[in-house]
Amino acid sequence: MNRPERSITATTDPPVTYVELESKRRRRWLLIPVVIALVLLLLGLVAAIAGLIAGKRLLRNNTATYADIVEHFEHGSIGSERSGLPFWIWQALPRLFPEAFGNRLDYRAFGFLYRTDSKGAQEALPIGISKRDYQGVDLVWFNCAVCHTGTFRTSEGAERVMVPGMPSNNLDLYRFIRFILDAGVDERLKPDSLIPAMQAAGADFGFIERKVWQYYVIPRVREGFIERRSRLLPLLAAQSPWGIGRVDTFNPYKLVQMSMPFSAIAPAERNGAADFPSIFQQKPREGMQLHWDGNNPSLAERNLSAALGAGVTAETVDHAAIERVAGWLGELRPPRSPHRVDGAAVERGRALYMTNCAECHGYQGSDRYVFEGAKLGKVDPIATLGTDRGRLDSYTEAFRQRQLAELFAGTRYQFKRFVKTDGYANMPLDGLWLRGPYLHNGSVPTLRALLAAPAQRPVAFLRGSDVIDGSNGGFVSAPCDPARPPPSGFCYDTKLPGNGNGGHLYGTTLAPAQKNDLLAYLLTF
Amino acid sequence: MTEDVIFTPLKFRNLTVKNRIFRSNISGRFDNEDGSLTQTRINWECKFAAGDIGAIISSYVPVLMEGRIIAGYATIHRDDFIPLWQRLGEAVHQYGCKYILQLSHSGRQMDLPGVHNYYRPTLSSTSRKESLHGFLCRAASKAEIEQLVNAFAAGAWRAREAGLDGVELHAANGYLFTQFLSSGINDRTDEYGGSLQNRARFLLEVIRAIRARVGRDFHLQVKLSAVDRNNVIPWEKKGNVLADTIEIAKWCESEGADAIHVSTGSLFPHPLNPPGDFSFETIAITYDAMISSGVDAFRNFLLFRYRLLRPIFRWIWFRMKKGLPIEGVSLEEARAIKANVSVPVLNTGGYQTASFIREGIASGAFDGVAIARSLVANNDLLQQWRMGRDSPERPCTYCNKCLLNAPKNPMGCYELARFPSREAMIDELMTIYATRATLNLPPVHRPPVPAPAPVPAPAPAPVSAQPMSVP
Repeated sequence: MNRPERSITATTDPPVTYVELESKRRRRWLLIPVVIALVLLLLGLVAAIAGLIAGKRLLRNNTATYADIVEHFEHGSIGSERSGLPFWIWQALPRLFPEAFGNRLDYRAFGFLYRTDSKGAQEALPIGISKRDYQGVDLVWFNCAVCHTGTFRTSEGAERVMVPGMPSNNLDLYRFIRFILDAGVDERLKPDSLIPAMQAAGADFGFIERKVWQYYVIPRVREGFIERRSRLLPLLAAQSPWGIGRVDTFNPYKLVQMSMPFSAIAPAERNGAADFPSIFQQKPREGMQLHWDGNNPSLAERNLSAALGAGVTAETVDHAAIERVAGWLGELRPPRSPHRVDGAAVERGRALYMTNCAECHGYQGSDRYVFEGAKLGKVDPIATLGTDRGRLDSYTEAFRQRQLAELFAGTRYQFKRFVKTDGYANMPLDGLWLRGPYLHNGSVPTLRALLAAPAQRPVAFLRGSDVIDGSNGGFVSAPCDPARPPPSGFCYDTKLPGNGNGGHLYGTTLAPAQKNDLLAYLLTF
Repeated sequence: MTEDVIFTPLKFRNLTVKNRIFRSNISGRFDNEDGSLTQTRINWECKFAAGDIGAIISSYVPVLMEGRIIAGYATIHRDDFIPLWQRLGEAVHQYGCKYILQLSHSGRQMDLPGVHNYYRPTLSSTSRKESLHGFLCRAASKAEIEQLVNAFAAGAWRAREAGLDGVELHAANGYLFTQFLSSGINDRTDEYGGSLQNRARFLLEVIRAIRARVGRDFHLQVKLSAVDRNNVIPWEKKGNVLADTIEIAKWCESEGADAIHVSTGSLFPHPLNPPGDFSFETIAITYDAMISSGVDAFRNFLLFRYRLLRPIFRWIWFRMKKGLPIEGVSLEEARAIKANVSVPVLNTGGYQTASFIREGIASGAFDGVAIARSLVANNDLLQQWRMGRDSPERPCTYCNKCLLNAPKNPMGCYELARFPSREAMIDELMTIYATRATLNLPPVHRPPVPAPAPVPAPAPAPVSAQPMSVP
């Protein structure tokens, strides 16, 4: 049967209503603005989301907290990181500057100390370096432990023991700072070489993050380095290197915190380098004249002032973290002296000490140090002491005025207790066996040398050993020639400005046997 | 006892109405798509006639299919509709009630265009879209205006031929005449726009044409908006003021109008017409029927539908009502117009209190009132007044739900609170359909059957025939 050939197809009608026709025409005209609006909306949305992510990131300001107080002391943040550098740059520097790092991938070359974790692997950051996620970038810089953790060995071959609270006898802060400032202007710190080094150190950057580092973070860090360098370098260049275990407390402070020009620092002020102090048993020291020159009797102000030196600012300082450390240090006793000495000599020495020294320095009791003495913690005039004036003169009345007026101004932390003194404070001698070299500037290597007349004291000696010296007190400090410095350690030259080893003549006139007895007693501190 | 002025006859030049109460124009979609009226319309009008109303003003009767407001309303554009209107007139006259046919053209104010009008913009004085719903329109040419004038004259003639008692020109509330009269809408630059005289030209030409067609002895009244208040949408111009309308009323009178019916507002609905509430709950479920009618209607639907957006429309709508009464909302305008014309003046606007109306008549504000909603609520309003009530037992609440249901549902009272139950309300709505159907059987038309075409004889198949394939 034939099918009909006719086919029925639906036709497309024009719009049925005039309103539809008009609406269609309007829609056509509206299409362009609508598309533009949609594109703008989309861009806006993308921008909003990006802004939100960036905003969330920019609001980040997190740091780890540690339950264990020693961990907190060694890695907890006091708020200095924004004066420091990004973690990944920290990690990349040894790869970029192997000559400065002794071809190691860590910072031991500058005397930084590392602990090992439970698996025996070295921790990523040395003691005294804390980490903070600020605006999405991990920053690292100093805390208290960097200058106040040291090591000792009982002999060359013995195991190294780390002691929190003892003055650092390893850190060459001067050399480290010089290196950082010089790295800032080194072209190896350009993103082209720095980013691969960071990635080699373990950084895992996405495209956007890489661009952020390339165009924002790295240039900003370099600018910061260059700015810091322009401020500090004239001073550092004019000073003799501080050497291992020493720091110039106040002069960098003048340049960085107070933006003083180097020319405003008189030549007499420029050599303020002194030994890192021990920070054991702080509580009994409250009210004593603290700092080498005894310029402040308040532990809290002294601590805050030291934190400024570590890099905190009035905005970034973490008072709670500092106070937690201070609370712990209040009672922290030094480890007992491992020196084995003749008991009878100690007793004879004790008698000598009580007659000649205890008034100024307190004394070591049978199980603890006794912080008693009429002149303990008080300043003796420089004219009486006769020790080097460099450190004393680096702290000036003009600087003190600005300290009181400007630092933490308007807050309850504003400094009030700083004074200008005319000498050095008589320090308690707890943990004395860990505190060599001696005198404020570390100019006398051993206790025995300190009991010698200045002319007999070593003119130049090596700093940087942590092997304790059982017969002389302090650390093994071989003589050296500053003109021919040895490859390791730091040859301390007492002839350089600020490094003088004169003065403190107490005990120098005792008979040799008496000196031996006194030394035997001092070795028990 | 003195005679109640409400129940005294009102004498026009060519018509006497037995009392002062006119059923104002109101209707529903009762009629056929072709514009022919139905039994339902007759039932609807008789409900009011039975209530002793003096005269009924028909609802809105388009003179042309392209001038409908809402499809489904009876029209008077065809001569063969005359017998239908005649039948309606006869029905109403049984009650001694007069019937005045309202001749109308929507112009651009076309709510539900219907299948006839979907495809074209309506004629107006302007090509600017209507302000509230975005109804589209096109400015009529002078030739088209002439056709419109003739259509009105023909409509009046048909009304007269149907034996109806008069006609009213709906020159109020935003329809075609208003679109010419209003300075807020008419943007023409020819002799139909500009000055008030030019803007009134179309209306006056229509009156003249009607008079020429039906003579001087057929009742002709004109419904005018006293004040346009055209700025319902805030950026629109305000339009005509009372002084303009007084002039227009005087011109209408001199051209042969027998009465002036005073309303207000250059849109319909307008915040002041019908005065009262605006039920968002109602409009939210009925306005969807109008979404396709105007280019701004969907916007309005969103404003009605979503609670968060309603305050926008509420502000637009209610800001004009502040300080104005509902009953007698344009009473003072009517008084001002009456003071300037010698023909009777009717007024509309929420009337349902007998004493208030009496006072209006006695004080010379108007000669009669036209009532819609209050009569829809109480068909027996006049009987209640006669029984001594000043206002009805269950008065109209001016909720305007009757109005807002119009796009979708039968006309009637939707104020549930006035009824004992929802069923009772629906029963009341259905009363107009209560009729014994007289359904006719359509005549049977059998198309002539053509003689079968000769079938060609199949060609002889070749010997080696292939199987047939179907293309």
